[in-house]
Amino acid sequence: MIRFLIKGILRDRSRSLLPVIVVALGVFLTVFMSGFFKGVMTDMIDMNAKFSSGHVKVVTRAYAENADQAPIDLAILGVSDLKNQLQSAYPDMEWVERIRTGGLLDVPDENGETRGQGPAVGTAIDLLSPESGEVKRMGIQNSIVKGRLPEKPGEALISDDFAEKFSVAVGDEVTLFGSTMNGSMMFHTFVVSGTLRFGNSLIDRGAIFMDLQDAQIALDMEDAASEILGYYKHQPYDDIAAQSLTESFNARYSVESDEFSPLMTRLAEDAGMADYLAIAENMVGLMIFIFVIAMSIVLWNTGLLGALRRYSEFGVRLALGEEKKHIYRTTIYEAILIGIIGSFVGTLLGVALSYRLQTHGWDFSELTGNIGMMMPSVFRAQVTPSMFYIGFIPGVIATVLGNALAGFAIYKRKTARLFHELEV
Amino acid sequence: MENSSIIKIEKLIKRFSVGKSEFTALNDLSLTVERGEFLGLVGPSGSGKTTLLNIIGSLDTPSQGKVTVIDQSIASLSHKQSAKLRNRHIGFIFQTYNLLPVYTVYENVEFALLLQKLSSSVRHKSVMDALEWVGLTDKVKSKPSMLSGGECQRVAIARSMVKRPEIVLADEPTANLDSKNSHHILQTMKDLNKELNTTFIFATHDEKVMKYLNRKISLEDGQIVKDEIIQHSKN
Repeated sequence: MIRFLIKGILRDRSRSLLPVIVVALGVFLTVFMSGFFKGVMTDMIDMNAKFSSGHVKVVTRAYAENADQAPIDLAILGVSDLKNQLQSAYPDMEWVERIRTGGLLDVPDENGETRGQGPAVGTAIDLLSPESGEVKRMGIQNSIVKGRLPEKPGEALISDDFAEKFSVAVGDEVTLFGSTMNGSMMFHTFVVSGTLRFGNSLIDRGAIFMDLQDAQIALDMEDAASEILGYYKHQPYDDIAAQSLTESFNARYSVESDEFSPLMTRLAEDAGMADYLAIAENMVGLMIFIFVIAMSIVLWNTGLLGALRRYSEFGVRLALGEEKKHIYRTTIYEAILIGIIGSFVGTLLGVALSYRLQTHGWDFSELTGNIGMMMPSVFRAQVTPSMFYIGFIPGVIATVLGNALAGFAIYKRKTARLFHELEV
Repeated sequence: MENSSIIKIEKLIKRFSVGKSEFTALNDLSLTVERGEFLGLVGPSGSGKTTLLNIIGSLDTPSQGKVTVIDQSIASLSHKQSAKLRNRHIGFIFQTYNLLPVYTVYENVEFALLLQKLSSSVRHKSVMDALEWVGLTDKVKSKPSMLSGGECQRVAIARSMVKRPEIVLADEPTANLDSKNSHHILQTMKDLNKELNTTFIFATHDEKVMKYLNRKISLEDGQIVKDEIIQHSKN
């Protein structure tokens, strides 16, 4: 009997191939979208971490309270010593110093008079040390539009938008005006080694990237930095691990009564990031839930229609003396088999495409160029353990439910009425 | 051949609910069918032919009265017992053949035997015997879509006969066939009736069927209005 039924499944493509394709497609979409949403959200968090918050960040307590203003007068002093302590206490993390400052960027003409001027957002990172991972982390090399990376002190990269607006060419000089750490007036001239475009207007607007040591000299910040950022060397951001790290550091180094004592915060505590992380987590969950429900309805209907289409066959089988219970049971077994095969194929395809997108990414830079939100221009999926089972929810359960519902009529109706309905 | 009562119907009433009212399909009907009869239920649409076939075939139950088929009271059978009665003792032939399209002729005929859990060698012999009765041994591997209407109905007859049932219920078996095929089918069933002493009960409008019957029961409004024994002259 089992062989007889399997023959029927294999020969009747509308009973085997078609439902398997529909189930596989539904499961593929569920699995892939789950990986894609998760990947994009993770990338957005990661991008914030790379440019702004780190996985954890150390600043002075006073700086943390006024972080929106990037107050360099509240920067960390003795930063090399603190960084060394961090590196020895937490070797699984990479620690980097950064300085953030604001000011005016002045473009002189051939006589040294101001030709153009605009607001600037200065970021100082370690651009020149060979062992520095900052250039790679921030994707600076790939974001250079003209010129090259700074190769010696006194060189800087400026926003390509700014360069276009004020006709600044590679090799020209620009002067950054601002105030030093001590509140004195600061002006420091840089040679433009190249121009940058990250594809994000928040970063691109008036950006100037300089070497950390140049900034320390210009801003009178010897052995000082606005912040020290920490990144997990071998794993993505993990909020639970980061919380444990910040608690251990703060218990050891941070003194509530000393506003210049260091304070470590985690990515989730960075301005708005806690809300963002919660929203991201909920959004991913919601999107996956909606997708699972939608695909469940589609697959339920497929199962329902598949069984309804076979009512005539069920009628014949009843007439030949097969029990209703047996027909119902074999319909369910068949749905389970189709559901499992379809879910397996769909999961395999979904995970494969997600993995491909995780390793190669999907370049959306032309579409995301003018978006003000900090988001990646290359979207990547993320393969997660849940992807290996999430597709089986719509794939097997919904398919079986659809068939069970269609088969319920067989079970409940009077045989003669059913016999008539089955068009026998 | 032994002739004894195989179906006994006493004061059968069958009512169906139609909205809030009731429709009486069979009204105080009594009938006895002997083993080996070749019997036709004739009458206009709505006269109760198919309802009576359904009750005899244990696809439906009486509202009142008693129906005994092969010594089993239809009203008291469970679903399982009804299925067993159909599987072991009753064959069905339908107007539209109702062969399973993805299976071969052999597999369609074999299906009823699979439910009886017989060994494959017993099944094979029974299926080949049944196909020989209807003259289709050369079509065992054909699918129903490759057969003519007459051939399909012959497969349906083989399917109903393969388990050697005591009763075959045929609902308008010739309605979709031309004259030549109708006579061929009817002759096949008549031969099986004689050879195996199987009781055939037809529900039909078809005049071609009439000359093969040895008993004709006319129904009207759920009641028997005429019960005739037909004597055929021997050629």
